[in-house]
Amino acid sequence: MITNDIRIFRFDASSCNGCDIEVLAILTLGLPLDELGVKIVDTPQEANTLVITGGVNIKSEPELEEIYELIEPPRRVIAIGSCAATMGIFKGSYSMIGPIDEIVPVDLYIMGCPPRPQVIAGALADALGLDIEGMESLLETPEGFRAEPVVSSIKCIGCAACMHSCPAGAIEIDNTGADRVVKFTHKDCIFCATCEEVCPSEAVELTYKDKSWFEDKEAAISEATVELKKCLLCGLPFVSSRQIDWAMKKIEEKLRIPKEAHDRLLWSSSICTDCRRKGINEVKEAKKTLASIAIRTQ
Amino acid sequence: MGDNSQNQKVIVYEPELCTGCRHCEIVCAFKHYSSVDLNKSYISILFNGDEGTGAFEAVNCQHCEEPICVNACPSGALGKDEGTGWVTVNPLKCIGCQMCVYMCPLSVPFFDEERKAAAKCDFCGGDPECVKHCSPAALRVVTREEALQLNKRLYLGIR
Repeated sequence: MITNDIRIFRFDASSCNGCDIEVLAILTLGLPLDELGVKIVDTPQEANTLVITGGVNIKSEPELEEIYELIEPPRRVIAIGSCAATMGIFKGSYSMIGPIDEIVPVDLYIMGCPPRPQVIAGALADALGLDIEGMESLLETPEGFRAEPVVSSIKCIGCAACMHSCPAGAIEIDNTGADRVVKFTHKDCIFCATCEEVCPSEAVELTYKDKSWFEDKEAAISEATVELKKCLLCGLPFVSSRQIDWAMKKIEEKLRIPKEAHDRLLWSSSICTDCRRKGINEVKEAKKTLASIAIRTQ
Repeated sequence: MGDNSQNQKVIVYEPELCTGCRHCEIVCAFKHYSSVDLNKSYISILFNGDEGTGAFEAVNCQHCEEPICVNACPSGALGKDEGTGWVTVNPLKCIGCQMCVYMCPLSVPFFDEERKAAAKCDFCGGDPECVKHCSPAALRVVTREEALQLNKRLYLGIR
């Protein structure tokens, strides 16, 4: 551990400057940086810690390699923000080479787009072995601010609305096996709260009161597992059973369906969408269900 | 339901008249997606291939009086027009949960991966293309009252 000898060299690989502004904002927290032995240095030769914002593009790649070589070991690399971890919104751009860890090894990722200055300060303090008084209270997400999403395994119905709405592509759905895993990856998250907004069962919350920095970016996740329903005809899992229960409850609240039609509806919702259209007999059955509901309204 | 609902127009399909030309699918996909990809059509005709009976059946929206899809939708994207009775989806409001896809017994709404929203028959604003191009008149626009009588006969066996 290198206590009280922290010489930070800052490098902007190709950031939009959002993270850089937040890094600058650390100064406004009133932390006694001098007393703690933290220095911001002007050349890589003087530094022992490299703080990087942004992903790597064509122009910054050779520079990043050069700077990394110039810093004498033991050296530490800290990647700040989504772009440094995964290229973030610049993913797929013609000029991008990759995230930081494709060029130099990264010791710590700080998640966010951008991360709050308190989180950056806390992460740096944690990684560099500093003891800052009152850090715990600083790290709490204030009212009205957003941080990483947390999904409740109890409330999640596994409908995948969050995945389809996420503009950053930070939510993955894994249907392998008998369960559906809804995985929120924090490395891509931009805290836009669209998932919280669309979630029909209010299972997602964007107030995260824990450390949002990680040594392994793949470990920065929040996930929920829901059971998949198997099709009564072909036996293949096709939809989350909680989703069907949720929708069925909603329909029951709004519509008064006679018992027979209700049973038919339950049956049809247990058949996968492919089997519903497999042949004319299946379609006839479905139309019969709809006709029997229509008759009641006569 | 109000008196008005019986005068609303719906599309009906009579399997006895259908020739299986699938012209309805082509014009529907072309109208809504400018493509002839039949997977994107809002109507599909099924053939009873295995049994070889030459029977057809259509998967088409019934524009139900009390739609399952509308009642299952958590975001209010699916709605039923009070006046015309058409059940349509507002893609801007759709959150992609696919409740409608799984709850509709016919699975009429499907999830459009490109637009990231549910898509379904929109009645073409009152003049359905499929009906216009159906040469044996298997698809027709009739009043709800007539449609109910027909569906009773076809699917419930009530005369």
